[in-house]
Amino acid sequence: MATLDLENISKSFGPAKVLHDIDLAIRDKEFVVFVGPSGCGKSTLLRIIAGLEETSAGRIVIEGRDVSREDPVDRGISMVFQSYALYPHLTVFENIAFPLRVQKMTQDEVSQRVARAAEILQLTDKLPLKPGQLSGGQRQRVAIGRSIVREPKVFLFDEPLSNLDAALRGDMRVELSQLHRALNATMVYVTHDQVEAMTMADRIVVLNGGRVEQFGSPMELYHHPATKFVAGFIGQPNMNFVPGTVADASGGGVAIDTVDGARLVLPVDTAGVSTGDAVEIGIRPEDVRLGDGLDLNIRVLERLGGVSIAHGALSDGTRFCASLDGNARIEEGVPVGLTVDPACAHVFKADGTVLRRQAAPALVA
Amino acid sequence: MAERTGRRKLSEAWFAWMLVAPAILFIAVIVAWPLAETIRLSFMEADLGGEEFVGTANYTDLLDSRNFHETVVRTFYWMFLSVGLKLILGLIGATLLNAAIPGRALFRVLVMPPWVIPIAIGCIGWLWLYNGYFGLLSGLGQRLGILDGPFEFLAYKQSAFYSAIVTDVWVGTPMVTLFLLAAMQGVSRDLYEAAWVDGAGRWYRFRRITIPQIMPVIVSMALLSAIWTFNSFEIIWILTEGGPRGATTTLIVDTYKTAISNYKFGEGAARAVIIVILLALFSLIYLFFLNKVNRKYGVK
Repeated sequence: MATLDLENISKSFGPAKVLHDIDLAIRDKEFVVFVGPSGCGKSTLLRIIAGLEETSAGRIVIEGRDVSREDPVDRGISMVFQSYALYPHLTVFENIAFPLRVQKMTQDEVSQRVARAAEILQLTDKLPLKPGQLSGGQRQRVAIGRSIVREPKVFLFDEPLSNLDAALRGDMRVELSQLHRALNATMVYVTHDQVEAMTMADRIVVLNGGRVEQFGSPMELYHHPATKFVAGFIGQPNMNFVPGTVADASGGGVAIDTVDGARLVLPVDTAGVSTGDAVEIGIRPEDVRLGDGLDLNIRVLERLGGVSIAHGALSDGTRFCASLDGNARIEEGVPVGLTVDPACAHVFKADGTVLRRQAAPALVA
Repeated sequence: MAERTGRRKLSEAWFAWMLVAPAILFIAVIVAWPLAETIRLSFMEADLGGEEFVGTANYTDLLDSRNFHETVVRTFYWMFLSVGLKLILGLIGATLLNAAIPGRALFRVLVMPPWVIPIAIGCIGWLWLYNGYFGLLSGLGQRLGILDGPFEFLAYKQSAFYSAIVTDVWVGTPMVTLFLLAAMQGVSRDLYEAAWVDGAGRWYRFRRITIPQIMPVIVSMALLSAIWTFNSFEIIWILTEGGPRGATTTLIVDTYKTAISNYKFGEGAARAVIIVILLALFSLIYLFFLNKVNRKYGVK
């Protein structure tokens, strides 16, 4: 049972506080992704778990044992670095074997473990080579191999795919997910790429300014973002935010007048808003279709084949992006009308928090 | 048409030669001509009175001379001992300066003086230290009861030789230290962190990461330092002038004494040529070794 609990973790570098009271309970065998913009503290948090940085306050508990003051090696973790951190003077075999050599394991045991890791990672024929002779993806696999042989309780990954090109990144995402299933281990993964987070995570931690914005499953974050920040961060292309004013909050939903002149009635909780409040309506580009409602003046049209992404502005100048059918009859410079499905829209108060949606689309069978 | 391209090619070639001409002239005057002149002189019996061709006599005399053999052996001993000490001290110094200790910037500056102050000034300071009657070392030795009277460090064959080595190491270590420090700072922090996560202690990390990572610099530094030490003249000349009774006479000092002090230009030239040959051979072996090291430690 390799659970990982972070209790009230705070971290300051001098006067700068980079992490504020982080509280997370990561379950056994869970794949958790820390995601957020650069400077949000996600790497620092990972390094704190690894023991490469000390906490200013709080506890790290692995498998029920407080490891906050222990050296990295005693915590039962292993870490894969963004730069791979391979030893250029050692062969692939010796790189993978490094942690075992430190432990002074017998040669038989070392060979056995390295062979097993190499087999899982398809590196068997690369063992005699030096890292300099490998491609980026292979190097990353060696780095993963080095963390596998230690058989840690928790795997830590610090942006491991950032140095790879897009195609390889896609392949490695799949491989990492398979590896997670094969090893059946608890993994914590840091990335700034929300696609990686969405595709690989069991649960995602969205960090912003050293605080946890939300901790939940990918679909939970997508359908029920707790804050405007999460809503804007998760989803590709980014969610649109249309300013509006509450016209009526007395009924079963909230009626909002947009600056555009349209009125939308959205099925969200009315608690905490009253008529006249300034709010923002969050609309995902994929939740609109051609029709009546908002007027979009298309400035740039990206035809991706399956979908067409129309970037432009509403009549009041609010930037807006719509993801429409690949063959939609639309053109740059020509205004189109867009219909918003009220059930799919989100409403954010001025402080960035969300009005809870009464219903959310269920997964389609 | 063909004629025109031909002409353009010709003028391009001329232009290229013009560009390299200053460098060629420089090398010719500074390196090639003196080298040729030295080689020519080495076959002459030459002094202030004139020159006379003697064939290989200067060389055969040298090869038959026991004194000269001793000088060659002494020179290599001097070189290996001094360079070895410089590297060991440099490595220790660089490691300490690279450690996260408070005030290390100050220490980094304090390393510089032996290298920065003129060698002559530093050596005169050491002359005072080594002096038997008012020198610090002799006085300290007597106070501590190690010496039972004034000891003139530069007056005895063995002590003079090792004293000269100490001074040479003192002058040469800072540069080695700074080069190794620069190399250590180039080693990626991630490598150390990865090793630390895997449980490698300080000594293990130093042995398995730092040393291999800076090995190419250590080897290059050793070669440069070896050549400088081999040819080091001022330190010995200021301290002992090669004495007592030749105990600190290295090849370069011997050459100077022969050619400049005794006006035996021909014999001096023969010694100089032998130095060139020895250093060239030494460098060749070294470069071969360096190449192997670079390949082994993953430097392309």
